[in-house]
Amino acid sequence: MKAKQKINPAVLSIIMLGIGLQIAFSQSVILNLIVTLVSLAYLIYCRVSLKVLFFTLLVALPLAFGSWWSFLVFGTGDRLHNAWIYGTRVYSYLTLGAAITLTVPVKELLLSLSLHLKLSPTFVYGLLAAFNLFERIRFQFKHIQYSAQMRGKTYYPWQPALYLRIIIVALNWSGDLAEAMTSQGFSEGYERTMTFNDRLPFWQWVLCLTLILAYFWAAFILRPW
Amino acid sequence: MQTVDRNKKSWSLRDVIFLAIIAIFFGIIYQVWSYAYYGLAATPLKPYANDLTLGVWIMAGPLAGILLQKAGATVVGELLAAAVEMLLFSSWGASTLLSGFIQGIGNELGFAATGYKNWGRTGLLLSTIGATIITFIWDWFQSGYSEYNFGLLATLLIIRFISIGFFAGILVYWIKQLVEKTGLIK
Amino acid sequence: MAQLEITDLNFTYSNQQALLFNNFNFSLKAGSFNLLVGPSGSGKSTLFKLMSGLYPQYGGQKTNGAVLLNGQDVSEVVPFERARHIALLFQNPSRQFAMQTVEEQLIFALENLRIPIQEIPRRITAVLTQLKLASFRKRKLLTLSGGEQQRVALATVLAMDSDIILLDEPFANVDNANRTALLHELKLLQQQQHKTIMISDHETTGYIDRADHVYQLKTPTSSLKELSLNILKAQPPKTFVHTDPAIIKRNDKLSWKKLSLAAGKKQLLVKNNFSLQEGTLGLLSGDNGVGKSTLFAALCHQKRYTGTVYYQGKASEKVRLRKWAKIVANVFQNSTDQFVKIHVNEEIQLSQKNSLHPEYWNPSRIKNATEKLQLLQLKEQVCYQLSGGQQKKLQVLSILIMSQPIMLLDEPFAGLDPQSLHEILLLIKETVTALHLSVLVISHQRIGVTSFMDYEVHLENKILQLTGDHNES
Repeated sequence: MKAKQKINPAVLSIIMLGIGLQIAFSQSVILNLIVTLVSLAYLIYCRVSLKVLFFTLLVALPLAFGSWWSFLVFGTGDRLHNAWIYGTRVYSYLTLGAAITLTVPVKELLLSLSLHLKLSPTFVYGLLAAFNLFERIRFQFKHIQYSAQMRGKTYYPWQPALYLRIIIVALNWSGDLAEAMTSQGFSEGYERTMTFNDRLPFWQWVLCLTLILAYFWAAFILRPW
Repeated sequence: MQTVDRNKKSWSLRDVIFLAIIAIFFGIIYQVWSYAYYGLAATPLKPYANDLTLGVWIMAGPLAGILLQKAGATVVGELLAAAVEMLLFSSWGASTLLSGFIQGIGNELGFAATGYKNWGRTGLLLSTIGATIITFIWDWFQSGYSEYNFGLLATLLIIRFISIGFFAGILVYWIKQLVEKTGLIK
Repeated sequence: MAQLEITDLNFTYSNQQALLFNNFNFSLKAGSFNLLVGPSGSGKSTLFKLMSGLYPQYGGQKTNGAVLLNGQDVSEVVPFERARHIALLFQNPSRQFAMQTVEEQLIFALENLRIPIQEIPRRITAVLTQLKLASFRKRKLLTLSGGEQQRVALATVLAMDSDIILLDEPFANVDNANRTALLHELKLLQQQQHKTIMISDHETTGYIDRADHVYQLKTPTSSLKELSLNILKAQPPKTFVHTDPAIIKRNDKLSWKKLSLAAGKKQLLVKNNFSLQEGTLGLLSGDNGVGKSTLFAALCHQKRYTGTVYYQGKASEKVRLRKWAKIVANVFQNSTDQFVKIHVNEEIQLSQKNSLHPEYWNPSRIKNATEKLQLLQLKEQVCYQLSGGQQKKLQVLSILIMSQPIMLLDEPFAGLDPQSLHEILLLIKETVTALHLSVLVISHQRIGVTSFMDYEVHLENKILQLTGDHNES
């Protein structure tokens, strides 16, 4: 079976940011819905589990509802239109982001950004190395809490002591990892071989530019409801 | 054998991992906060919820700034936190990265105003003012604050400044003092 | 073949501290197999990080001399060049990988070295076959045991084809069978590929007929002391715990039924029943990586398990964590995980303020204990700046003052000198007896420790069992 043609992660990121930035300034319910629907269509095309999609949409519902309602209560001018603009905007942003986070593994995204958009390998591999510690960091957080509770103290997020503990762990672990990676030959600011290679046909750049310009034209010249 | 060029003053691997680990811890703390936010955000009080919790979301930026004390540290710190938030905790979608960038710029402006010389009270005060103003402008468009009535806007601006002032200002200052006491970061 | 030489080196961690290495000289013999011994905290890691060029980039200051790799200052050589000649394997395997899977990790290292793309898969296949890891190629590193992770770390070094391989306490999380296998492989590498090998270890077993040189390090110093190979033949004295059958018939404090534990996919404990009695001090023994610390974490409700843990006969799973922390205390293996305050005196005062037995831990008793542990003169110091051994003493003291009914101590004696070890054991024993506490200790050090223990319990093959002579009675 032929592998499905997906949009390159780097291009996808530019589309997300290019349109995402414009959404903040556009005033159109219809465009918000179009962005949401197109993103959803892409997600379904990429075979993202419908259950995951459903829950993602469901979790955002209270937020969209809160926005919508707040403009009815506190708004000025065309309250109903505003309520719908900002209610649907929550979903445009959500689905636009999901079009990347749910379809591209983190590693592929970072490597693709490195390959096509010159994101420095120091950031790519630094982030990947830190992400690999995720489960341990979660455990360590419990550890820190327990260490205080044993001594009759509880840490709350507004207490500096909690952050000091976090900083100390981060300091030790980042040192260990960076030392190990340096010992494995990782050289900051130097060329390295790259085995990762993803397809980025020219038409995807065209698509990217077209989508961003089309959105601009629609949002700021056409200005639908 | 080729030798290292130590004149390159860019981000070191260790700094990146350091900030990313802190960002993951923040992500874990945010999960706790997000319940409070969520409860409030499902009602018309959502703008209050936004502004009240804003300080917590943006403190990663100034914290990175005072820990690394270099130009760009605040923006990159906040961007890293936003990237971690988006990639590991997949919350709020595309707006996370955009807001993270805007917030980082706001905080960074404060430190830049001191010529990156003051990372103490003055720098943090300016940084919180910068963040309050810039994020408010951003929300003017992004969250439609332009459409709210004046009374609400004034209240929100004050709440926002208190939240940012405490979490991204006072709390970060306290943390800085503690870290200095330990003598672990020079 | 790479030559490594240290000439007239002066090194310190900070200006305020004395020099750790003072006019230090050492020459690593190419193609040799070396063992570096010395207790934890004696400077072994520091030396290795200097030799591999990580210091002073990642810490400390070099005020004189140099570490020369083929005549060139190693800390000045660009890492991708350096790695072809010298590589370091770290103690904590979980924090030495940048990537998620075995294959990705190897690709990462080879890309760093600018190996051509088409050459990379071939090299990976070769080293994985050589170390019998071929079936691990796509495995996630997180799911591997400590021993397997160290083999992958070794595979990384071999793929980079480094001439000198330094291993810093590489067996800390590796069980005995894997330790022997790894040592065997390292010896073959020395003999067949002429690698230079240097391992730091606090144990000398398994090095007989393998090590060509044994060195001892104790900072501050100006040289490594070469020891006679005969010390490898010396068998460690047998140390048994004599269990008094009456003691384990005392009242149960903490007990568990059908307790099962796993780390990732690996089962550590299966449906275990056991109990800790009041007023007892026990030793929990077992191979590295067998799950002793994980058991402690589970008993502190920090790690998931199945089965039931009872405190004074009542199931504990619904007890709130804040309350549970006042029942089961844990002295963590890593000291910096323990400290809540910044200065030593604040740390002790916090325990004093919140102690569960303030009538026992009156100021004079605390002062006395602080004095005996030689912590009194360190009162004003920052906890994080203490030496490893001092940190251990402070950890144990602060928990002893809290006096939780159950205490789990994970390697509390690491880096202690014999005098401190004796004092701290006396203090633990005294507190246990006076307050009827129940304390369980993990310690790989047995000499000077076992005579204080009331019983020993051994974790092996997913089973936890009392050992020693209680069976005969």
